[in-house]
Amino acid sequence: MRVEYINPFVEAAYNIMTEVLQTEVERKDLYLKKTTQPVMGVAALVGLAGDVEGRVLIDMSQDSAIKIASTMNGEKLTSMDELAKATITELANMITAQAVTKLFDLGFKFDLTPPSIITGENMSVSDANVEALIVPLEMPQGLVEINVAIRERA
Amino acid sequence: MKTTSDFPSINERTPDGQSNGGSAFKVLVVDDSMFVTKQIGQILSSEGFNVVGTAADGLEGVEKYKELYPNVDLVTMDITMPRMDGVSALEKIIEFDKDAKVVMISALGKQDLVKKALLIGAKNYIIKPLDRKKVLERVISVLK
Ligand SMILES: [Mg+2]
Repeated sequence: MRVEYINPFVEAAYNIMTEVLQTEVERKDLYLKKTTQPVMGVAALVGLAGDVEGRVLIDMSQDSAIKIASTMNGEKLTSMDELAKATITELANMITAQAVTKLFDLGFKFDLTPPSIITGENMSVSDANVEALIVPLEMPQGLVEINVAIRERA
Repeated sequence: MKTTSDFPSINERTPDGQSNGGSAFKVLVVDDSMFVTKQIGQILSSEGFNVVGTAADGLEGVEKYKELYPNVDLVTMDITMPRMDGVSALEKIIEFDKDAKVVMISALGKQDLVKKALLIGAKNYIIKPLDRKKVLERVISVLK
């Protein structure tokens, strides 16, 4: 997978999370995972189909998700309730919208699915024939991984 | 060259954010969350409302209301905020202007506070998560 696919997502996530959380966000080193990998507890999933195809996961622990949603809403949330889910969905929307604008500018053409929120323990994601690139972002609310598996259509 | 504007729309209507006279309703948004403030702002602006002020806590909200008065038609008021909560801010605003139109914004599970706000004089309330339809419906019902 080409790094230029993940960069727009990482930059967008960095910009948007810095803005909506009004806090420092630290970008950690990129790493690569093959085929099946565990996800952390709450994941926003966006699918891409077109010139490029694949998916983007914005992955975090439930605790981080609740803290992020609390900060974003100015409310002390205690569970992954409707408001927390809607907030993480909106966060994913904002990140993908900004990233996709950049990819469109680079000339890629594809459609997106609206974000789905997946929650649960001991989950994993499998991507056939494409490795995932992951960039962790660290902030006071916890760790958020931008996990992208995209390839050019054969 | 013909453009679409040469063909007046058959459903031309006054945008909901404008009074029948055509001027935009002026809204003050009070919320400690920048994200929610932006959400409300985007929804209202897209419908022709004019967000004339924002405040990040109740104390600032009351000050801004007095500053803007009488050029403010509606306030959206968050409940949970630092320094001064939304219910106390509502109380102060009603004290200053008994006709103030205030819509409370609340997370689920604060029914008692919402009830209290309605008794004090809030005109309506919206439970988060916010969506366009919900926000516009409630705000417009208060203004029209
Ligand atoms: Mg709040």
